[in-house]
Amino acid sequence: MSGDQSPDDEVLGTRLRAELPRYTAPTSLRAAISQGGAPAPQRVAWLSPVLAAAATALVLGLVFLLAGPQIVPADPTERLVRSVVAEHTRTLMWGARHPEVIPAALPWLTQESGIGLRQVFAGDDRLQFSGAEPVYLEGHRGIALHYRDADGHLLTYVVLALSGLPVPDRRRVQIERGTSRWRPALMHDSGFSAWVWRQGELACFLVSDMVSEDDVERFKDYFVRVRVSTDPVPAY
Amino acid sequence: MASDEFQRLALEHLDALYNFAMYLTRNPPEADDLVQETYLRAFRFSHRFQPGTHLRAWLFQILRNTFLTFYRLRERESALAEDGVPTWDAPMFHDAPEESSSAVEAHTDLERALQRLPEEFRTVLLLAEVEGMALEDVARVLSCPVGTVKSRIFRAKERLRGLLKDYTKK
Repeated sequence: MSGDQSPDDEVLGTRLRAELPRYTAPTSLRAAISQGGAPAPQRVAWLSPVLAAAATALVLGLVFLLAGPQIVPADPTERLVRSVVAEHTRTLMWGARHPEVIPAALPWLTQESGIGLRQVFAGDDRLQFSGAEPVYLEGHRGIALHYRDADGHLLTYVVLALSGLPVPDRRRVQIERGTSRWRPALMHDSGFSAWVWRQGELACFLVSDMVSEDDVERFKDYFVRVRVSTDPVPAY
Repeated sequence: MASDEFQRLALEHLDALYNFAMYLTRNPPEADDLVQETYLRAFRFSHRFQPGTHLRAWLFQILRNTFLTFYRLRERESALAEDGVPTWDAPMFHDAPEESSSAVEAHTDLERALQRLPEEFRTVLLLAEVEGMALEDVARVLSCPVGTVKSRIFRAKERLRGLLKDYTKK
């Protein structure tokens, strides 16, 4: 401390240093931090109201977004993105209509959607698979697969039986992992982000609420995880 | 994500951060969570840390900001506690190091007096006197000018002396 203190101040400072007990971090805390946060932190009392408030704000926001007047985009891709986002928000608010567990439900999903999944991303350490269901968007049949990450972000992967979907060049983003390279378009609608790409004769979308700069980096990673492990094909 | 080197350097300050967290929260599980959250944020935003500046002050700043972000909410919650006695208002006796009975008594008075100070006074004393931080670093943690830090230390000590006198009279 500075030297312009009175003797009383110095005495008090010395007392604080000498008499206040020092608390040492528990070994378990050190281990948890060293291992990158595991085990999961115990929820503290003040965290619940924050999460509850955030969830309420999100639901209210979505209600206003969906209930408010909306202009239908003329661009077919933007229109599809809007539909996929609406599907995503419906799942976010109310859950999937018929959440099915893959791979048991694959034959049924294929029968309902006309899309087969030769390979499917069933989740990993970052993304947890939460359900699959057939969808019908803008007159196209398809499959929606839902995942949730460790922070609670819901991801909706939608494949539609639609060939020749125009993917806007100006929105394309190059993503590379090892020797693989993709150029999906990153589109936004109603506060959500969506990767849009073609896979053979199918149109694919991956939607989430990850819109900030940091989130987009993570969203790219999620795209790669889903893209490399999922192989949809027209079934009939 | 943070590099191994950054994590190693950051973990050197774990005990100091935990001690500070204990005096802010007065509750070991909450101190655990606060410190863990601090490190999560520090690792997540390690790219924002400017090498050459003080990592210690930066970590303390994150911890205090994290604490303050949720503190007001918790204050409102505790005001609604069923028994009318907010848990955060209890003196912090738990997990104190074992010492002779007289020393514990002295610590108790000092701790009690410290805990009765407003957070900005308590923090400034903990950082400047207990942690021995330079005034410039304390100013960085509190996001205020050095002059403000000096005047807060002065006023905090004045208040602390007054409280200690009260205990002595009792």
